[in-house]
Order: sequence, then structure tokens, then C-alpha cells
Amino acid sequence: MTVYQRIKSIFGRELRMYSRRPLFMFCMVVAPVLCVVFFTTLMNKGLPTALPAGIVDEDNTNISRTIVRTIDALEETDMIRSYPSFGEARKAMLRGEIYAFFYIPSGTTEQAIANRQPKISFYTNEAYFVAGSLLMKDLRTASELSGLALTRETLYAKGATEADAMAIIRPITVETHPIGNPTLDYGVYLNNIIVPGIFILLIMLSTSYTIGIEWKYGNQKRLYALAGESSAVALAGKLLPQTILFSLMFIFCDVCFYKILGYPCRSGIWPMIVLGIVTVVASQAFGVFLFGLFTGQMRVAMCLCSLWGILSFSLAGFTYPVMAMSPVLQWLSWLFPLRHYYLIYVNQALNGNPVTYVWASVAAMLCFVLLPFLVLPKYRSAFLKYKYQP
Amino acid sequence: MKSILNILQIWTKELGYIFKDKGILIFILFVPLMYPLLYSYVYTNEVVREVPVVAVDENNSGLSREILRKIDASPDVEIIARCGNMEEAREMIKRQDAYGIVRIPSGFTKELAASRQVPLGVYCDMSSMLYYKAILVTVTNVSLEINKDIKVNHYVSGTTDRQDEINRMPIEYDYVALYNPQSGFAAFLIPPVLMLIIQQTLLLGIGMATGNSRERNHGSVIPFDNRYKNPVHIVIGKALPYFTLYLVLAVYMFTFVSRTFTLPQLGEYRTFIAFVIPFILSCIFLAMVLSSFVYRREDCILLLVFLSVPMLFLSGLSWPSATMPDFWRYISCLFPSTFGMNGYVKISSMGASLNDIRTEYMGLWIQTGVYFILACLFYRRQIVSLIKNIQQPYNPTQNHEYRNNMPQCHQTMANDERRQHMELSSAQAKITASRP
Repeated sequence: MTVYQRIKSIFGRELRMYSRRPLFMFCMVVAPVLCVVFFTTLMNKGLPTALPAGIVDEDNTNISRTIVRTIDALEETDMIRSYPSFGEARKAMLRGEIYAFFYIPSGTTEQAIANRQPKISFYTNEAYFVAGSLLMKDLRTASELSGLALTRETLYAKGATEADAMAIIRPITVETHPIGNPTLDYGVYLNNIIVPGIFILLIMLSTSYTIGIEWKYGNQKRLYALAGESSAVALAGKLLPQTILFSLMFIFCDVCFYKILGYPCRSGIWPMIVLGIVTVVASQAFGVFLFGLFTGQMRVAMCLCSLWGILSFSLAGFTYPVMAMSPVLQWLSWLFPLRHYYLIYVNQALNGNPVTYVWASVAAMLCFVLLPFLVLPKYRSAFLKYKYQP
Repeated sequence: MKSILNILQIWTKELGYIFKDKGILIFILFVPLMYPLLYSYVYTNEVVREVPVVAVDENNSGLSREILRKIDASPDVEIIARCGNMEEAREMIKRQDAYGIVRIPSGFTKELAASRQVPLGVYCDMSSMLYYKAILVTVTNVSLEINKDIKVNHYVSGTTDRQDEINRMPIEYDYVALYNPQSGFAAFLIPPVLMLIIQQTLLLGIGMATGNSRERNHGSVIPFDNRYKNPVHIVIGKALPYFTLYLVLAVYMFTFVSRTFTLPQLGEYRTFIAFVIPFILSCIFLAMVLSSFVYRREDCILLLVFLSVPMLFLSGLSWPSATMPDFWRYISCLFPSTFGMNGYVKISSMGASLNDIRTEYMGLWIQTGVYFILACLFYRRQIVSLIKNIQQPYNPTQNHEYRNNMPQCHQTMANDERRQHMELSSAQAKITASRP
């Protein structure tokens, strides 16, 4: 038999195994699709708007009410209710009703008019990081504005026009240009990495599971014979169906993101599809490598794959930058396929730059693909000698 | 008394199974002990400092240099280079040497002198929100600072220094980041992740034990044993070893991990214990219900590990639950982790009492009750089907659930089964007599 025929027969054997157990279809089709649906619907609002906040207005004058109106008009804040005292507002925050509150002590207006510089304050719940940070931004603007509103009134009284007044109050403005994600959409920012991250996790796990199951059922020698005593042919035939299935999942995900939902993709969809397929092969290769490294101990390999997959969400550096981690971890982050996927994605889809700027990550991805060749001799001895241990 | 004895017998038997199995021990002992340490180590620096940016100073005046100096002096941003034009600066962003550009336009001071508003350009790389936040907050702060100076020096100067200060800031304000004073990442992420680790490792450990017993007992989740005939006893007996172990692990996380990595520790010890009991129980019973889908010991790794990520998001801690679609909010109530993570954050980071987290606490007890009943029903069905299988005459073509799922070792299994069937037939009379 030629190599092609051998791979084909192993391929068919593999498909028959999938058809007998729903678990495989769940991991390779249902779970990825569910993840895409879950994350895109969860974050379909983009940037969270109308986060509930409260106010404690002990002053209750028309100036304090102006402040309340100013805050309510801001995009991310929804002033849901006012509380009679500081303690009440704190309790409401504990119950999770509000993420932040504004506190205007009594006598604020009186002191402001008498030029005695009163103090107002606001509190955000930073235990909820995203909500807290967003509200902090809004409430700070409101606080600045409340002080400036007083100056503006003075300037109007002196006969200044609105443009004059604004040039005096805020001579320098800040003009932001978020490169690549102009709407600051959180969905774009998170989904683009989390969904591929879950895919990589599933790919690595199902790679080590489907290889390990041969030893578990004691069929490894039969597979080896079928492959003409070549570990490379055995592994290629075994993993090819998954390569195809997961590549289809990546294409589905890319089409969903960049075509249907219109996430920014300055490079066009094709580079992202190629990146997806390379990522599938790289993660499979990494799974094969880990399995071979521990000479076919399914349990250890699967535990390591889970650890790697889950840890890659942290070490990819898209939430908390790798730059701010300890040097050991910065070095370690090179060993995670998701890290390189992230860097290439930023370069391609988000910024639309030539791929040469991330050549190191591309090289790293290709190194992952070559990893199995290091452990092929180990596979040979595993096929011939090793037995499954629970 | 008899039932207590029965539960104790099941307990010791299960304890034996667990401690003989290295695979289960990895998940229920090694992961909960080590993972929190590893995770905390990753985020140990808490905040991002000195984000590299490039400055493009087209104005090159005293004021523009002052602005850049102030930006550079801030803790969060560092100006790593000054570029002559935007092209050069963009090149540095492309190479990811810098994550932002601050641009001061050429007519900057001229416009200011003519009393017109002038913009300060900020370009941010959006690969990480924390870079964006650091750069934007810093530049905004500096611009506000300079604005006040311009306002006071040029337009509304007072007669005394104090009056200048009041003119700069007619109303002062104060910002307090409650419960996480430095807005740190570890203090936000690690406490809920601790609870998620408890739930996920329990699901994995119990799922693995169930898969194990199916493999050992030919498709049945309970051994063919006289002691395993009351579903309530089985559920309680099986839950006990996990419960005691996880109570210790939870205390370890609440005390040792929190202290070592200086995570928020406002919580009261008693509140925590009272809260964590229903949390662990509901996780255990949920694990028993879910393990009905597990046929091989390794299956549960495939089924459960990836779910950790969606569960973290369902909890509403990283993505505010106020903006979550209702459908997902209802789904999130099915998992103990949602209540567990929110409750734990409120206890440990915000110092809540049980009364403050009534919703979460009640939710966990309801889940405990519901999943306990479901787990009992599941084991009852298993007992009934086990007895039915035994009472029927042996038939190798009979379509057992497990055989569908284990086609490749059909032959060996069938042989094994035949042998076991011989043993079973002799025990048949006994079990029918002792049937509940």
C-alpha cells in the first residue's frame, strides 16, 4: 500500500470512531459553535453602556441637581436612584445594585458661592474592574465639569461668548484616535482572542485524547501495523480529520466576526483564515509533542494540555500585558500558540500592517508545527512497548 | 443509626478509591493547591506601569516641552523616543516598540495665544485596553493640569495665591476606588478565580471518579455491592470525602493564598465558612448530576475544562451583568460558580456580611437542594437498571449503554462480562432478597 492509501484507511477508521460517540462531535463541532454564539451574543452591546450608578445628594440645591443631570447625560452612566445617606449607597453597592456613586455633601453650593472651594467625591467599585474603570472615567468628567460650570457662569456674566468661554475653561482638548478599534468595542477586543483561545484548548485536548484512546483500548499495535510501521503516517492519518474539522470551525468563526458582525479586519479575511489553519496545525503539533514527551501517558498529557490551554489566556497578554509580568513569564509566553496568534492578529486584522513586522511570531508558529519530529522516535517505542495506565 | 453506618461504609470505600487514583488526585489536590499560586504569580505586579509611547513635537515650544515632561514624569507612561514626524512614530507602533503617540500640532502655542481651543492628538494601539487606559488617563490628567494654569495665569488671575487656587478649582473633588484601591488586576481577578477553581476541579474530579467506576464496573456508576442500594446514602457517602477535603482547600485559599499575594482580605472568617458550605455542596451535587454524561475517565477533561472560560464571563465579574442579555443571565443561575464568585468577592473584597449577600447565599442553598434531589434520582435509576440487568438472563447482543460507547474493546469486554455474569448470578438471589 502507498502512504496515501494508508492515511486514507486510517482516516476512515477515525471517522467511524467519531460516528460512534457523540463526545467527539460535541468537542469538535458543538462546543466551538456554542462558544462563538455565546461570546458574540454576550458582548453584542459592544462597549457597556448605561451602567447603574447612584447619587447621595445631601445638598439638594439647583447646582447639585445640575451635577446630577450632567452625570445622567453621560453615555456609560445610568443614574438609577438617589440614596439618602452614604451608608445606604454603600449597602446598595454591596448588593450589586450600583457600581459607583457620587457624593455631594451639604453646604457645597453655599461654599462654592462664597469661594471656599468645597469638595465633592465619587466612589467606584473596583472589585468589578471593567464597570469600575468605565464609571470612573465618566464621573471624573462630571466632577471636572461641575467645577468648570461655575467658572463658565462667571465668564458669561462678564460677557464672553460660548467659544470664548470654552477656550478659557478648556484651552487644550484631548483628541483620541484608537488605532484599529475606533468604537472601543469590547466584543472586538475580547472575542477575537478568547474564541481562538478556546479552540486551541479544544484542539490540544482532543489531539491527546484521540491519540491516547488507542493505548486505552489496546489498539495501538493495530494502528501501527495499519500505518506500515510508521509513526508519522499513523499520526497524520489520525489527526487529519480533526485538522479539517477545526479549520472549518476557524473559518466559521472568521466569517462570523469579520463578515457578519463587521469586526475590524484591515488585512481582509484571507490572512485570518490562513492564520486560523496554521494555528490548528500548530496546536495539534503541540499536543502531539506533549503526548510524545511523556511517552504516551494519556493522563499526564491531557492534564498538561488543559494547563497550557487555560494558562494561555493569561500569558497571551491581551487582558494584562505580558510587558508587566515577571521576566520568567515574559520568556515563557513564547511557548504558547495563543500568544503568537494574538500578536499576528493585532498586526494583521487590527492594524493591517505587513506581516514582516511579526516575523518572530510567524517563525514561532512554524516551530510549533515542526515539534512532533523531535518526538517521533519516542512514539515508535510507545507504539511497540508502552501500555495504557489509568 | 443503620443508615449512618451505611453512609460511613460508603465514605471509607470512596475515600479508598480517590486516594488510590493519581489522576483524580491531580485534579482535586494538586490543581487547587498549585493553580492559585501560579495564577497569582502571573498577575503579581497588579498594574501596568511605564507604557512606552513616542512623542511627536511639531510645536517645539516651552509649553509643549512642559507637557511632554509632565507626561513622562507620570507613573503609567514613559516617553521612549521623540520623533520628527508622524510617519516615523507610526513605524515604531508597527514594530510594537511603543503603544501610543502623543502629538502636539505645530500651531499649538499660536492658537492658544489667539484664545482658541487646540487639540492634543493621542493615538493608541488597541491591542490591550490597559495600554489605552494608561495613556488616555495620563494625557487627560496633564491637559487638565495645564488648562488650569492657563486659565488662572491668563484670564482670571486673583490677588492672592489662595484665590488663584480657588480659581483653578472652584469645586474640588475626590476619587475613591473602593475595595481595590490601586485598581489592581490581581485583586480583581484572583478572588473569583479561586472559587471557579473549586467548582471546576470538583466537576473534573467527581466526573473522573464516575468514569473510573463505569470502567471498573462495566458501565455502572456504582459497584455491585450490597452497601450501595440506597440512593440517598450513596450521594451523601460519596459527597463526604470531597466535602471535607474542599473545606480545607477553601480555607487554604481564603487564608494562605490571600495573605501570600496580598489579595483583599476584608472578609470575616465565620461568614466565609457559612458561605462556602453551600457552595461546595452544590458543586459536588452538580458534579454528580453532570457525571451522568461521563463514560470514560478522560471524557470529563474534554467536556469540562473549556467551560471554565464561559463560566468566568457568565458570573458578571469581568463583563458587567447589567449589560448581559437576559437569556445568559438566566443560564448563569444554573451554575454554583455565578453565586459563588460574586458572593466570595463581596465577602473577601468588600467585607460583606451574610445579610448583604442574601441573594447569592439563598441561590446556593436552592441549587444544593435541587442538585441533591437530581443526584439521588440519577443514582436511583442506576440501581434500578443494575438490578434489572442482573435479573435478566444473560444476552451478549443486549444493547448495554456502555457497549455502544466502547466498540473497540468489544471482544475483551464481552469476555469480562461473561465472567462477571457468572459471579453476579450467584449473588442474584442475595440482592433480590435485600432489595429496597
